[in-house]
Amino acid sequence: MQSATDKLVFEFGNSADKLISSLEHMLGHISSCIPVGADTESIMFKCKVIITELLTNAIKHAGNSKTLFNIDSNATRLAISKTDYGMPLYLINTRNNSAADNTKINKRLISADPLTSLYANWERENHIRFSSEEGSLDDFLSVEQVMEHFGILIITNSSDEFTYTYHKDTRSNVFHVLINF
Amino acid sequence: MITEVTITEANLSNSDQFKAELVGLFDQYNKIIILDLQELKYVDSAFLGALVSSLKYGMSKKLDIVLVGLRNDIRDLIKLIRLDKVFKIYNYAEEATFAINKA
Repeated sequence: MQSATDKLVFEFGNSADKLISSLEHMLGHISSCIPVGADTESIMFKCKVIITELLTNAIKHAGNSKTLFNIDSNATRLAISKTDYGMPLYLINTRNNSAADNTKINKRLISADPLTSLYANWERENHIRFSSEEGSLDDFLSVEQVMEHFGILIITNSSDEFTYTYHKDTRSNVFHVLINF
Repeated sequence: MITEVTITEANLSNSDQFKAELVGLFDQYNKIIILDLQELKYVDSAFLGALVSSLKYGMSKKLDIVLVGLRNDIRDLIKLIRLDKVFKIYNYAEEATFAINKA
């Protein structure tokens, strides 16, 4: 573990037992980085839900490899990234399979219900930016329509920018989140 | 029926058990469940997924799950993904009971 005034590198062992202590450790660092005048409560809320989901993702998908968190901030924004060496996100393979048919498709609906539509936007090969749109609720007939997987949606809706990159050379998965102060 | 959740952390390590217990309560009592979550400090998407899945089960039996006692940040998280459009949420169990009896 290494920490500086505005930068923290944290190694997570992908154990559910360490989820809360790891979350609190990273939040403790972030609380000291938020500039005077910023909406501290809102930023801490966003960071809490984002880091919780990134930790949960690591526990579920990173396997035995360790997961590295990098938290970096300056006067205007906070960046959180998570790197692991587990299997690539399922979307990567689906894009590669369909790209041969239509390389112009760069935005794909990955889940939708009457509440929200979630999109993956391919900005380049193996690099996705997530976005979401609220549904109108006009088509909301029953709870049966509501999806049950919220991890990517929570991070997308809490951040100003949320991307995923699969690095083929190192076989690493990098989730990157930006929050503007 | 009012059910107090006594755990402080609800995440992927206990979400399956949480869902199984809610489903068991529906099967055993066949009543609307008022879920008092005032002890809960940390939740993740796995817990929220279990909650939605349990609600679907309850709705299939013409029942419901009502949430009370939410901390501000958990209520904000529920609003963030618009689950406040799906769950009935009240500050206190008494308020929820009154609303249910009135309906």
